Amino acid sequence: MDPDRDDAARLRRGDTAGLAGLMGRHQDRLFRYLRRLVGDEAVAEDTFQQTWVQVTERIGRYDASRPFAPWLFTVARNLALDQLRRRRPESLDEADEPAAPVGTESDPLAHAVARERTGRVAAALLALAPLDREVLSLRFEEDLALPQLAQTLGVPVPTAKARLYRALARLRERMLAAAPAEEWR
Amino acid sequence: MSAHPRELLALAAAGALDPAEAARVEAHLRECAACAAEAGEWRRLAEGLGRMPAPKPSRALVARTVEAVEERLAERSERAWNRAALGFLVAFAWTLAVVSWLLLDLVTGGLAVHLDRPVGPTAAWYAAYVIAGWLTAGAAATLLGRRAPEEGRTV
Repeated sequence: MDPDRDDAARLRRGDTAGLAGLMGRHQDRLFRYLRRLVGDEAVAEDTFQQTWVQVTERIGRYDASRPFAPWLFTVARNLALDQLRRRRPESLDEADEPAAPVGTESDPLAHAVARERTGRVAAALLALAPLDREVLSLRFEEDLALPQLAQTLGVPVPTAKARLYRALARLRERMLAAAPAEEWR
Repeated sequence: MSAHPRELLALAAAGALDPAEAARVEAHLRECAACAAEAGEWRRLAEGLGRMPAPKPSRALVARTVEAVEERLAERSERAWNRAALGFLVAFAWTLAVVSWLLLDLVTGGLAVHLDRPVGPTAAWYAAYVIAGWLTAGAAATLLGRRAPEEGRTV
């Protein structure tokens, strides 16, 4: 038996044990995904809470024959994109600032400390556009296979594949600007 | 040597190739040192992405979320109860109206006889009374329904 399916059925009946089960299995990955997508912690927290409230309200629309995680991420994604569009009306497909190489900020010491803590890759990822961060997080952190990734993004598989490649290429460009590939750790 | 499959090298590190593409990349890497080196870069990048520190939701956030969801569930349950109660009351009121009509008819001369006659003044007054009652109740329900969201009530 699929525990997600059982818990979704419980939640549909108004049983909070269903919510506890779903949150227990998915809360960490959902929060991580939202942090990568929206960037800001406070906005991620707000969206996290809204997502579970909306899951509770819309659980009747969840098709239990399909995996729960992509549906959950789709609910979260719609809410997060609404938040992002309110905060930055420009394209979500563009990075916040011009592609400055990682490691050349005005405070090198602070940057070195941050880089030590999060690693070069995480620092470079933070500088990417929200939609690039999203696709990389879904594939590499949430381990969604390509069809599930495409379903979450609401696009055909070839489009998801193209977005994945483009995000990887942009990340590599930033990494190479900061350090030679032999130093990537 | 085939053309350098640059895009496929990145997607191979992401585990996003179909079997035919994966075979093509493998064959190319056996004979192209430059692409083999680039594939190594993509692999390191992919490993780095998989090892990033993972932010977790705080306990306070989880508690706030559970509380918000429980409130929403309570509202949903109240709405469902209200709908059921309203349905019952409507059915009850109609039943009462129809039964009292029949009783009134029996008392004022018998149903069978009355069916052959035009509607008399008693029945007309009764019909007017029932319609007026329903219109008043409908207006009250509409007004209450409009005010409910403003006051944070479900009905």
